[in-house]
Amino acid sequence: MIAIAWRNLMRNRVRTGLTASGIAFAVFLVSFAMSLQAGSYGLMIDAASRFFMGHGEVVTDAFVDKERFEHTVVGVSALRGRLGDSGALTVTPRVQAFGIVSMGERSYAGMILGMDFATEKAAMDLLNSISSGEVPSRPDQGVIGAALARNLGVGLNDEVVVLGSGKDGTVAAMALTVSAILTTGQAELDRSLLLVPIATMQDAFYLVDEAHRLILIVNQDTDLDASLQAVAARLSGNLVLRTWRDLMPEIEKSIELDKISATIFYAILLVLVTFAVVNTFVMLVYDRTKEFGMLLALGMRPWQIIGQIQLEALLLSLLGVAGGLIAGGLFVSYLADVGIPLPLDDFGGEQITAQMYLGSMDRIYPTLSLLSVSMAPLTMILGTQAASLLSMMRIRRIRPVDALRSE
Amino acid sequence: MALAMLLKLSLRNVVLYRRRNAFLLIAISFAVGGVTVSNALIRGWQNDMLEMAVANLTGHIKVQAPGFVDDPSLANSLTLALPPILPGDARLYQGWAARIRLPAVVMSERATRGAQLVGIDPQQEAISFYRDLSIQGRGLAGVEDRSLLIGAALADALETKVDRRVVIMVQGADGRTREMGYRVAGIYDAPGELVEKMFIFTGLEALQQRAAGQRPLISELSIVLHEESNRLSVLQAVQEAYPDTDVRDWQALEPQFAELYNIVDSVMLIWFLLTMTALAFGLVNTLIAAVMERVRELGMLRALGMGRGFVVLQVVIESVCIMSIGVALGLLLGVFGVWLLADGIDLTAFSDGLEGWGIRARLVPLLAVEDLVGYGLMSVLIGFIASFFPARRAVKISPLMAMNR
Repeated sequence: MIAIAWRNLMRNRVRTGLTASGIAFAVFLVSFAMSLQAGSYGLMIDAASRFFMGHGEVVTDAFVDKERFEHTVVGVSALRGRLGDSGALTVTPRVQAFGIVSMGERSYAGMILGMDFATEKAAMDLLNSISSGEVPSRPDQGVIGAALARNLGVGLNDEVVVLGSGKDGTVAAMALTVSAILTTGQAELDRSLLLVPIATMQDAFYLVDEAHRLILIVNQDTDLDASLQAVAARLSGNLVLRTWRDLMPEIEKSIELDKISATIFYAILLVLVTFAVVNTFVMLVYDRTKEFGMLLALGMRPWQIIGQIQLEALLLSLLGVAGGLIAGGLFVSYLADVGIPLPLDDFGGEQITAQMYLGSMDRIYPTLSLLSVSMAPLTMILGTQAASLLSMMRIRRIRPVDALRSE
Repeated sequence: MALAMLLKLSLRNVVLYRRRNAFLLIAISFAVGGVTVSNALIRGWQNDMLEMAVANLTGHIKVQAPGFVDDPSLANSLTLALPPILPGDARLYQGWAARIRLPAVVMSERATRGAQLVGIDPQQEAISFYRDLSIQGRGLAGVEDRSLLIGAALADALETKVDRRVVIMVQGADGRTREMGYRVAGIYDAPGELVEKMFIFTGLEALQQRAAGQRPLISELSIVLHEESNRLSVLQAVQEAYPDTDVRDWQALEPQFAELYNIVDSVMLIWFLLTMTALAFGLVNTLIAAVMERVRELGMLRALGMGRGFVVLQVVIESVCIMSIGVALGLLLGVFGVWLLADGIDLTAFSDGLEGWGIRARLVPLLAVEDLVGYGLMSVLIGFIASFFPARRAVKISPLMAMNR
């Protein structure tokens, strides 16, 4: 039966070729686009997390409620050890305070961020946005946001004075030499950030082994959700874990929105190709009415003829699916090696990626997944079967005598 | 005459094979209808981006002092006669607003934050997002109002309320820091938290008195046009009218929105081409079948003296006829789809992810006549191109071969 089905398909090679090409086109496009999605979402989450927020953070429940200076995590050194600061997970503390940053007569408000520069440089991407100067090597040096530097009229090696309020309410003061200027492309960060060595900040703001956030960065080869769950299990008392989903809801919502719009696109594409398949089978039934009449006259039952055509439909769809998957597989395999550079020059995109914290994402790598290689093929195989069955319903009304007389 | 006959023959063929063509017409209508609805949604998004960028105190065009972008202080301000004399036809302009914008430190009894203090004339701010603010307490009464309107997110961070006092520190026109006490008259809610944290409003003249030594200085003149299409010509005219100033349009001032805005046409074209390619396989298939079913007819016509050119023309006309009918039905279907979605699609569930992409919580489709005409004609052109393969087959039919079938 398979040989007969194949022979029948080859009787009209052009029609078979065009229909199979349509199926192959849809399978190729949908599989490739889904591989692109599968490859980019993970990278998006990782790039956005590594840029500033981390994959997660440990804070106090009071800090979640109100980000006040006094709501600190205490015993940071011991907690870092307990959370398993290792190769798979990096834990780095940050202290934050709002204060007045001055140079000469000029003063502006800034967000002063105390951090461990060595760890942040190794595990995060924020410091890669330094546009001039070097990461601080001395305790009295700091990195300033580009817009804040512009507002203050500050350049490299200038001294700025920071005034804030310590944990006990007393005045906290620091004098810092600007060692670098930070240009992230994020207006809110560039106009307010002043990065300071964490020990200097803890001294100035009267904190003892305390921090506001313990930033968590999960190694790329490690399961993100499992690592974060393991951290959550080790927390006790007033400590809570906030994951990247809580910290950057815009990333997760953007991904959800992208998935929905892509699904609509896939559906329209697959329905269109299915229409083409229906048309092919409508034509096929017309062309072969005489043949069907003869088979019925010889005693074949309608369901046997329908079965034969369904087999032809299956072979046709498999031909298209194989073509689409081979083309898609080769293309994705190639791109999985070399990646697709970002931003796409013809489309711009630097500002958009910076806005979504994705400035460090220079390439995306499509990844084949079970879903990406099975969704379109299965839909097309089922669609082709349905299209052929729909067209073949007419056979029940064929009378052998009339059919044998038809042209 | 010959053309009229060919048109008649082609139309007859479309009707004669109506069952086969019906499926093709459904497919074309579905494709064109889908493209029309998605284009309308994308245009709606583009319109949202434009409105958000323009309303974000930017305007279509902004006049600033040279150097203000690098050093946003009163040292880099303008003295313009108000109302300004805008070049060209007054009907081009929807409105203008003169403002002072200063980086400021805001201090409440509980916290300190950075923000931008904006001195405005509330009457002129009908061109910005200010007109849509929902205010708890009261808004600004006029240019001389010395009280303050702050965003809900900033009020929350400062732990302050309506009628409480805050201290604002700015750099005055003389370069010296000024500390000014203000009463919070109102707290506003804006669609984005970033706006609420960033902008604090007070009366323009009141701020000129306090920070500019009573001089009529402004930081910017924001101009909003009725039509985005006039932006570039007006930009040039304003640049010529204010030669010693820095005049920029919203595309230069809001580059992230400009990037998104400018890729929209490419996105629409790519989407159209992919859809039409998927459609083309079925279209070519059907047209080839149409030719092969009529081998005897075409052979006979050739035997009667019909030239190859006429055979090609008949196939092309038939293809264009099918496509035109399908496109017309598809456009009607698309317009109906847009009408069904006229109230917009509620995207509130994704609101956290929308702001960065310039999408509003309710995405309302926008039907552009030039899109309907342009994409409709391009679809017919696809039909014309798709007729190439069947036409090539048709010319290969010889009278002898046809008669022997």
